[in-house]
Amino acid sequence: MGEGVPVIEFQAVDKSFGELSVLRQLSFSVEAGQVVSFVGPSGSGKTTVLRLIAGLATPDGGRVLMEGRPRVAFVFQEPRLLPWVTARENIALVVRARGESKKAANREAEEWMERLDLQGFGHYYPAGLSGGMMQRVSLGRAFAHHPDILLMDEPLSGLDRELKSALLAQIKRLIREEGVTVAYVTHELPEALGLADRILVLERGGRARELDLVDRGALLLNWVASVMQQAVVD
Amino acid sequence: MKSPVSRKGKLLHGLIGSVVLLLGWQLVSMAVSSAIVASPGATMAELGRLVAEGELWKQLLVTLRRLLVSLVLGAALGLSLGLLAGILPRVRAVLEPVRWVWMTLPAVVIAVLAMLWFGLGDRAVIFLVTAIVTPVIYVNTVEGVRVLDARLVEMGRVYGVPRGLMLTHVYLPGIGSPVIAALTLAAGTGVRGVVLGEVLGAQDGVGHSFARAMSYLDTPQVFAWVLVALALMALLEFAVLRPVRAWVLRWKRH
Repeated sequence: MGEGVPVIEFQAVDKSFGELSVLRQLSFSVEAGQVVSFVGPSGSGKTTVLRLIAGLATPDGGRVLMEGRPRVAFVFQEPRLLPWVTARENIALVVRARGESKKAANREAEEWMERLDLQGFGHYYPAGLSGGMMQRVSLGRAFAHHPDILLMDEPLSGLDRELKSALLAQIKRLIREEGVTVAYVTHELPEALGLADRILVLERGGRARELDLVDRGALLLNWVASVMQQAVVD
Repeated sequence: MKSPVSRKGKLLHGLIGSVVLLLGWQLVSMAVSSAIVASPGATMAELGRLVAEGELWKQLLVTLRRLLVSLVLGAALGLSLGLLAGILPRVRAVLEPVRWVWMTLPAVVIAVLAMLWFGLGDRAVIFLVTAIVTPVIYVNTVEGVRVLDARLVEMGRVYGVPRGLMLTHVYLPGIGSPVIAALTLAAGTGVRGVVLGEVLGAQDGVGHSFARAMSYLDTPQVFAWVLVALALMALLEFAVLRPVRAWVLRWKRH
């Protein structure tokens, strides 16, 4: 999949849950290698967009088109680790799902543990890890899947601010190294500004608006101002 | 909130319960004829004789073997049917009437049918015990799959985890707790079933020896075999259930 080719394309997608219409005539496309962030208030259908891409939901109207049959990985809001196997085995599972032997899977899982600064924790069960570590294992699992498209649903929510920025940097580095196409959902603009090439704002009622450079510049200034203000208050 | 009972406290309370039970038994045996209730002393003496003669081990092994074979068969059958029914609602709908009939049939009816089909002996007893143990495991397996965290199943789907790995990594460990509980229940039901089966349809084993002692009106021996049946359950609990439980739920020790 080369640059400039849309790998994900939404054409006038409608989706509702019962009476509640979440997405209405939503259209956008994502090109290979792009990092697109979806921001918006809760209930604006951000998660639904990811679930449609992952094939975990089907549109009521319109079309969700994908280039070829991409491998999709999903970092859920909660880590969704199997509690009964170790951190390493949680990652190794998706490697084995690719058809690798148990031994090769464990070896690759260990490499991912190291890349995510989790060396020495491979034999820990999830219950023995902190929230941030669990989410890093979940990230490792996503990358170990060797995805073409990586979907992330507010992976940093529930973590404290320092942990957030450290993890965000790590995510950014891995995305660059792996060259994966990313759809990243968040309701925090700074996260989106720090990570994404493009930002799509979903509004309640199901429409999307792309933030242009001017918007982003203004938002960035705004954010810097608020951080400085916070620093003064602290 | 009450503080949890310590290990030592648990042991102490268990001991008190046992002593009360034993005292009650002694008192009842003193109040009624020894032909109806044998005293603890007489029962122990008879038990000693059965041990010394080797009779106890011989019969215990026969019964234990039948029980273990039935439990393994019942667990395998109940688990595989339960998994199928839990994952595939259509299979569950088909099996539902079967389960209903199966669970409602009195054990003694199954025992009579087993004797009719297999004659006296191993096969009849194993059939009976397997038949009454399987639905216990089945029902709990179905329920276990139902309450299994659907988000983990979804995770497996997203990552394209193949069926075999889903089974060994998601479903089986996910239903560990309810299945272990069911296994404990099944072991108790199994002990009752194996004794019943041997009373009615076997020519050896603890149940048969018990029935024979009863026909000779040998009350101390009747009571001795009752104790052996109880010991059978204890043996299962310590030699089989606990190690299995510890292994299946090893991830919970944190």
